[in-house]
Amino acid sequence: MIQWFNGLLRVALGGIFLLSGVVKIWDVQIKKSSSDHTVVFTTQASRIPDLSLFAQDVLNYRVPPRALNNVVAITVPWIEVVAGLLLVVGVWKRASALVIALMLVVFLIAIGQAVARGLNINCGCFGTLEGRKVGLIGLAEDALMLAAAAWLVWREKE
Amino acid sequence: MRRAMQRSVVIVWVGATLGLVANAVSSRRIPLLTTPKVEVPEQDFIPLTQAHDLWAKGAVFFLDARALEDYAAGHIPNALNLPAEAFSEHLGQVAPFLGTDSVIVCYCDGMECDLSYHLADLLRQQGYTNIRILQNGWTDWSKAGYLTNKGAQP
Repeated sequence: MIQWFNGLLRVALGGIFLLSGVVKIWDVQIKKSSSDHTVVFTTQASRIPDLSLFAQDVLNYRVPPRALNNVVAITVPWIEVVAGLLLVVGVWKRASALVIALMLVVFLIAIGQAVARGLNINCGCFGTLEGRKVGLIGLAEDALMLAAAAWLVWREKE
Repeated sequence: MRRAMQRSVVIVWVGATLGLVANAVSSRRIPLLTTPKVEVPEQDFIPLTQAHDLWAKGAVFFLDARALEDYAAGHIPNALNLPAEAFSEHLGQVAPFLGTDSVIVCYCDGMECDLSYHLADLLRQQGYTNIRILQNGWTDWSKAGYLTNKGAQP
């Protein structure tokens, strides 16, 4: 039973990280256009890695040092992809859950300080996929995912 | 646990390396370090959505700091073109529209672009006080799907 539950948790959490990394790297966007009373969603992605928009999102958090902003934007999505993929396929389960947990702690601090300072900025959590602002919902999601990641670190076998 | 920690370091290292390599080979690579050549205080930057709100209300003047041909190829509607590199040449055409205390948003294009910083500096020297900078302006604006315009300044 617990194996089954942990497996589900791994696929869900890893999948979210895999997806959120991919949409940042290839700048996936969903465009809504309505014509003739029907709403059409189209997905659009850059063919080549394009991190300029995510870099801007990171910059908006205004966490120094500013000089390292792009290094964060360049590396974080790929770490999300690698850790998420490993967690989904079930290789190095505890290690990948640990990486995800640590990233979530960083995200919580980043979003928390933005909310505390009242910054009206894009979350950037899923790249430009959702135009969501930072806020308490993002904090709650990250806290929930952190709990899941911590559980996996604690209960999964490597 | 010790093994998991060691492996987590490997995961971070592999991910970071992949990211750096992918960025290095991408034709849309972004620079590794982002130190603006001109130091700009944080409060001088205006977030995109806020800039768009003000723009929609018609409450601000947008100045495009890029060269004439870049402006003609596409710009924010109602933005006036005041190329930072030919400032004194073009200020006369733009100045009649601006009040010294009106809110002015300067933009150019790209995270590396410092034309808008220069333009803001030059305007301050002319006595304009209420100047904000929309970083990566043209790219962010057009990618956000906001209205755009083409053509040279009338």
